Amino acid sequence: MSYDAGPGVIELADVTKVFRSGEVSVEALRGVSFAVEAKEFVAIMGPSGSGKTTLLGILGCLDRPTSGSYRLVGQEMSTLDETKRARIRGQRIGFVFQAYNLIPRTTAYKNVELPLVYAGVPGGERRGRVLQALASVGLAERVGHLPNQLSGGEQQRVGIARALVVEPSVILADEPTGNLDSASAEEVLSILGRLNEEGATIVMVTHSSEVAEHASRIVRFADGLVVADERTQRSIVAEPLGAVG
Amino acid sequence: MTTLLEHSRIALSSLRANWFRAALTALGVVIGVASLVAVTAVSAGAQKEVADSIRRLGGNIVNVDGEFITIGTRQSASDRTITPEDVAAISQLPTVTAVSPHQSIESITVAAGRNQANTWLEGVTSAYSDVQNQQAARGRLITDADVSFGRSVMVVGLDAQDRLFPGQSAIGKTVRVGSREFEVVGVQARRGSLADENLDNRIFIPLPILTRVMLGGSNIVHVDLRVESEGDIEPTIGAIEDLLREQHKLPESYPDDFSAEDQATIVKEAQRATSTFRVLTFSLGGIALLVGGIGIMNMMLVSVHERFREIGIRKSVGATPWKVQMQFLIEALFLSVLGGAAGVLAGLGATRLISTFAGWETLVSGLSLVLAFSVSFAVGIFFGYYPARRAARLDPIAALRYE
Repeated sequence: MSYDAGPGVIELADVTKVFRSGEVSVEALRGVSFAVEAKEFVAIMGPSGSGKTTLLGILGCLDRPTSGSYRLVGQEMSTLDETKRARIRGQRIGFVFQAYNLIPRTTAYKNVELPLVYAGVPGGERRGRVLQALASVGLAERVGHLPNQLSGGEQQRVGIARALVVEPSVILADEPTGNLDSASAEEVLSILGRLNEEGATIVMVTHSSEVAEHASRIVRFADGLVVADERTQRSIVAEPLGAVG
Repeated sequence: MTTLLEHSRIALSSLRANWFRAALTALGVVIGVASLVAVTAVSAGAQKEVADSIRRLGGNIVNVDGEFITIGTRQSASDRTITPEDVAAISQLPTVTAVSPHQSIESITVAAGRNQANTWLEGVTSAYSDVQNQQAARGRLITDADVSFGRSVMVVGLDAQDRLFPGQSAIGKTVRVGSREFEVVGVQARRGSLADENLDNRIFIPLPILTRVMLGGSNIVHVDLRVESEGDIEPTIGAIEDLLREQHKLPESYPDDFSAEDQATIVKEAQRATSTFRVLTFSLGGIALLVGGIGIMNMMLVSVHERFREIGIRKSVGATPWKVQMQFLIEALFLSVLGGAAGVLAGLGATRLISTFAGWETLVSGLSLVLAFSVSFAVGIFFGYYPARRAARLDPIAALRYE
């Protein structure tokens, strides 16, 4: 797998997000600026309501900032319309969700293939890439299984395969271990760690400091602002490759 | 195109997952399309029947009918305005090539031995066969000599023969009309029916016997005449109107006491009576389609609602609003087009039943099938658009969070 290796994968400058519902307006982000370099593994931490999920929506081009600038691999995202953002999501961003979000009654293979279908990758090329992505999360034997035939950990690994199959500029993970038992969680985190060592840029939202320790950098949020930005042990001493699958 | 194929697969698998609901939903379209196919076949059959009737009866015919004259309170079948002199004058018109005066009793019971039959008795001259395309299956038709000598001879239609002489030939046998006996000299070749009238349940005798002897008069009801060409029809009708008004000495302000019409027009008018029924059935088909369409819309809205989360997932992995819209539109199209295909088959079946049991002539044209199918396609697009658009415009974040 090759990942976009340019510096400055993510550049946020003074990003705000205001949600209005009737008379009430809530400022979820109040001027957030930070950058993520290529091959970084960043954990975003903060209590609920701190704005970290809102930030992830903006980073994932699911939502637009109210003001400020968001550049993904040098390209301004805040002004794109929904169609262009959908294409960016499909080609430059890989999502890993807390609830896995696999399409029900659809095989692991079909789920992983989906982003390639939307990206217009020709059918002949898709097969190899899907199988490779599933193999890299240790699910080569499970391609024909339906989501309800897989364990939580396996479903999340399918989710990771789906995120990395398009070779995105960044993988965005939203509490990827939130629904998993500790063994499965450990497995998922070690896969993310390995992908990072292979060159993937990862931004992961979590409220657990244990999980955050797997990242190389922790950005802390409170009340819609960045309150701390620190390197972890892992950034200095790379862990040995975890056993997978 | 790859995605179109993918969307079709997605749509199909989604329908398969809810196949019973999908089948019920498509039923409205099935019924609508089936009735459109059947009604179109029936009405095309009716049109063909009109065209056949006109061809069979012979073209370029003008029908002149005399109206009743009421003398005091008494009125009889021969109290009509057309006189033998009128007939003679009409035959002198330059565009007229044949004139057939005739008089009929439309319902009369006749007997042969112990068999009785209710038939239509027609008094004719030798010109009738020419103008009405009448031919003999056996024996001969009414001749000039029969008319001038007042012979008691009769020509019978095939169905009249079957009733009076089951399984036998009528030729040489005797038929009683009232107290008079007629010798059957010929059997009319099959003529089929015109509108609701069975032209084969008729019997024919020389005109003067009917008018002078049986009805006691000389005036007649109908004069059918043939003209040279279609272009002669209108001028001839005009000439007859002038001629008869003059013959009858009608003052300017009086209305005509007769009518003169193109036979083809009369045939078409006769068919129009049954067309009301067809319009009704056709509208019912339209209503069924409308209800079917609304059913599709309802199911698609439910389907979109149930799949909020799936839509969110698809959007997060790169589905543009357009692609989401296509997916749901194709799903609606599958429903309506499969319903349309089933409807075409059901319509063909219904058409066959109608022609077998109601005895109506039907005609299924490829064009009507294509049309019915296109209508179901249009229903799918029309009623699928709004739900698909709703899916396309869903906010991906809200859709992903939806439980």
